[in-house]
Amino acid sequence: MSAYIVIATPMTDRECLLAALRDVGLDAKNIEIHDTAVPLVGFEGTQREQVANLVIRRQFVGASSNDVGFLATPTGYRMIVSDYDRPRFGADWQAKLAERYKAHADRKLAALVEVTERQKIEEERARLVEAQRQAIQEKAKKLGYRVVETREGENLRLVLVRRTY
Amino acid sequence: MLTKPPLLNLAHWLPRSRVNGPGERFVIWVQGCGLACKGCWNPDTWSFAPRHLVSAETLMGWISATPGIEGVTFSGGEPFAQAGALVHLARKIREAGLSLMIFTGHELHELRSDAAVELLSLADIAVTGRYVESERDLTLRWRGSRNQRVVCLTGRYTPSVLEAGTGETEIVLGSDGSLVFTGFPERALLAR
Repeated sequence: MSAYIVIATPMTDRECLLAALRDVGLDAKNIEIHDTAVPLVGFEGTQREQVANLVIRRQFVGASSNDVGFLATPTGYRMIVSDYDRPRFGADWQAKLAERYKAHADRKLAALVEVTERQKIEEERARLVEAQRQAIQEKAKKLGYRVVETREGENLRLVLVRRTY
Repeated sequence: MLTKPPLLNLAHWLPRSRVNGPGERFVIWVQGCGLACKGCWNPDTWSFAPRHLVSAETLMGWISATPGIEGVTFSGGEPFAQAGALVHLARKIREAGLSLMIFTGHELHELRSDAAVELLSLADIAVTGRYVESERDLTLRWRGSRNQRVVCLTGRYTPSVLEAGTGETEIVLGSDGSLVFTGFPERALLAR
């Protein structure tokens, strides 16, 4: 079969992400918030190479667990979870988190009455789409693909053709 | 008394794709597959529980409302697990002058039921065989593993369509930043 894989709406809004994390059962007081990303800590208490802006320390994750984090990137927050903790924070959990994030983000947008505030969110979305487009282009080129772009209404279609030379 | 054809159980659909068969195509991923190939792209399509139940008439309405397409592709899931319902849609597709391509995890000789034989008779191209992870090869056109075969069933296409390209991936970037990958994406493309 050919693939059909959906990558959910990127999570860019910290407030909505924190609300979504609460919805999926994480206690807000156990989530550290850092403007500058800080290192995560492994189950043995040693610092890991990965850094994150939102951190759930290992003692709140489970026995023998590692810290779980969310790193802010130009294409949204990226979750950092160890292989050990992946059974708990796997695809189903992440899908539920994405669903709750979208609900909060949609509600936030709908609640904005000020035209300037709505415009700001729309501009942020446009910036995000452009960052996603650039990330795909760069990754595709690095992997040896030629990219053909077509705009279709509000969507952008990118066809990645393998270079054969 | 005429009985109503059963509804189709769908997982996803994409009105336009260039990497799921020849030319621009409307692609339908059906819901439900009992083959459970290891490493399958779409394990969310395995369950036979109802997901999006749609009549052939409604679906044909969507297809007809998509101008400029060359044909329709059935993917999945396993299309032949609901061959009876798909036959009704396949007839309408052919009546509209569109081509039909079907991905199946079965080999041709395994498709023996009356409905399966009829559905196959309406297809121009079938891509057959299980996905075998150890045979994975994403450079092949319209296949994920080397054991799979692309079979031209009518004169509409010849095997030369296979030579016109390699494995391709298509990404639809939504206005909210969401991404849909289709075709044959390598893992490095999906990784964030």
